[in-house]
Amino acid sequence: MKIGIFQFAGCNKCFNETILLKDVAEYDIQRIEDPKNWNGDAIDIAVITGYLTADDKSIVEKIQSNSKRILAYGTCTTTGGIFGLAYQHGIAIKPLAKLISESEIPVENIHGCLGEIEELKEKIESQAFSKSKSLCSICSRKSTCAYLDEIQRQVDVQEDEEACFNDFGYMCMGYIATECKENCVKSGAPCRGCKPKVDRPGIRMLGMFGTLMGNVEVATEATGKGGTDKLADEDDDMTEAMQDVTGNFFRFSLANSVLPIGKIPSTGSIYSDIFTGRLIEEIPMIMGQLGGENAISLTLDILTAYETGANLSVSDKSKELREKLLALEGELQKAIKSQDNSQFADVSAKIKQISGNMNLSNLFFGGFRTPVEAEEDFDSYKSEVFEIEAGDYQSGKVKYSIDEQGKIIKFKMEA
Amino acid sequence: MHNSENKKEHNVIVFMCDECGQGAAKTAGVARLKYDTAVKIIRVKCSGMVGPIQIMDALNNGAEAVGVIGCCFNACHFFNGNFLSMHRIKLMKILFKEMGYSDQMINHYTSRAAEGETATGDFEDIIERLENAEKAGGTF
Repeated sequence: MKIGIFQFAGCNKCFNETILLKDVAEYDIQRIEDPKNWNGDAIDIAVITGYLTADDKSIVEKIQSNSKRILAYGTCTTTGGIFGLAYQHGIAIKPLAKLISESEIPVENIHGCLGEIEELKEKIESQAFSKSKSLCSICSRKSTCAYLDEIQRQVDVQEDEEACFNDFGYMCMGYIATECKENCVKSGAPCRGCKPKVDRPGIRMLGMFGTLMGNVEVATEATGKGGTDKLADEDDDMTEAMQDVTGNFFRFSLANSVLPIGKIPSTGSIYSDIFTGRLIEEIPMIMGQLGGENAISLTLDILTAYETGANLSVSDKSKELREKLLALEGELQKAIKSQDNSQFADVSAKIKQISGNMNLSNLFFGGFRTPVEAEEDFDSYKSEVFEIEAGDYQSGKVKYSIDEQGKIIKFKMEA
Repeated sequence: MHNSENKKEHNVIVFMCDECGQGAAKTAGVARLKYDTAVKIIRVKCSGMVGPIQIMDALNNGAEAVGVIGCCFNACHFFNGNFLSMHRIKLMKILFKEMGYSDQMINHYTSRAAEGETATGDFEDIIERLENAEKAGGTF
């Protein structure tokens, strides 16, 4: 079976993951890093990874007309994904199914950030996905579904390991998500819905969370035109608590949502468009999701920038584990360079052991969110509760500024 | 009232609950109160049924503004549907602002069944806010 794997713009984490397809002997794999100059040989299955814009239309159409099936692998291709957050700043990122005509060859979606290689194999073999339950149904945390009196943010790290994240107000998107391999919830980070189970996930989640917030104070005023009370425009507990609705509910689905394209002026770079407006507690995981093969070093840059700037203490044990991760990143890059599938699988497994998953959900300010397997004394490398301090922070390749609410107002990343 | 010849005809969807909302609209009708022809009323059992999905469907299918009118606070005929829809609309307002649009196209009101002016007053406010949003260039 001839399979062509095409990498468009983006973080190439999904593209690298497809090295693991080498395990299957009957697949004849072509890896195309530069789809623009592809020779156009006939193939059985085209696998598209990375995010797409209108400029890619003709290239993808050429791929579609030369293949029998077309697969979108990873959330960037299926819904615009994490890069789709730039839609807020007027960058028209297009999900594959909205870019090309599906009348002859329909697009088959494999959602996920990182896309799951097992599901890609299942799709190639035309089997049904083996994982189809909702994330909530397999989650070890239990929800009370009670109305929330207040909304907490992840900077107030919770000790309770049995209560649902939504009971704190962390806005976990498990309600609309399918069970997954990355399982950020297991690593102590609320789900952001990279594997949606329903259509229009962001707007549904917004409605559901609006209901959950039933007890939070909202400002009202008299209409003054013979009417009675109405919703007021002034700031209240709700606006105070919800600093980034777009980034939390539409993390992976903004470019595929029912919302019109954003009117916020672009900052000129897609990375700063994605990060501007996000919250300090969310950016390590966002970097883990879009950092590609440099995700570990870039995420650590984000963490150390704030830790040194705001004088957060980091224990020796945490530093030691982070060093280990950095070394593993080097090994992973070597495996990618030599296209060594067994080494790639080995190193990935070691990274996951420390960071929880390839999105590095377990990494947080001051340490780790959940205990690392085979490491004792969790208290010696546990993440910290911290106060938000406005200011400019810089470390390694990243530089950012945050305001009093912890919102990113400026972001710069060296290429 | 608003449709003098030099004014643009608007298209506004108002979801009104079957209890106080519709009650106020009926009272307004009995009293022959006038309101803008742009307003198209959709009757719902409770304003708590209306959420972002219905509002976005209306906006994406030609409505320029959407209003939701429920019972007075603490007077929902079910439990607290009016509060729930109000919270959802507040969240949507935050979202619209974050995307660079005006938050004046979506609004939440309450009305009294015994007073028709409460409904027509709300309609007037919806149109006025829509016009403000248009002036500011924040509509879809």
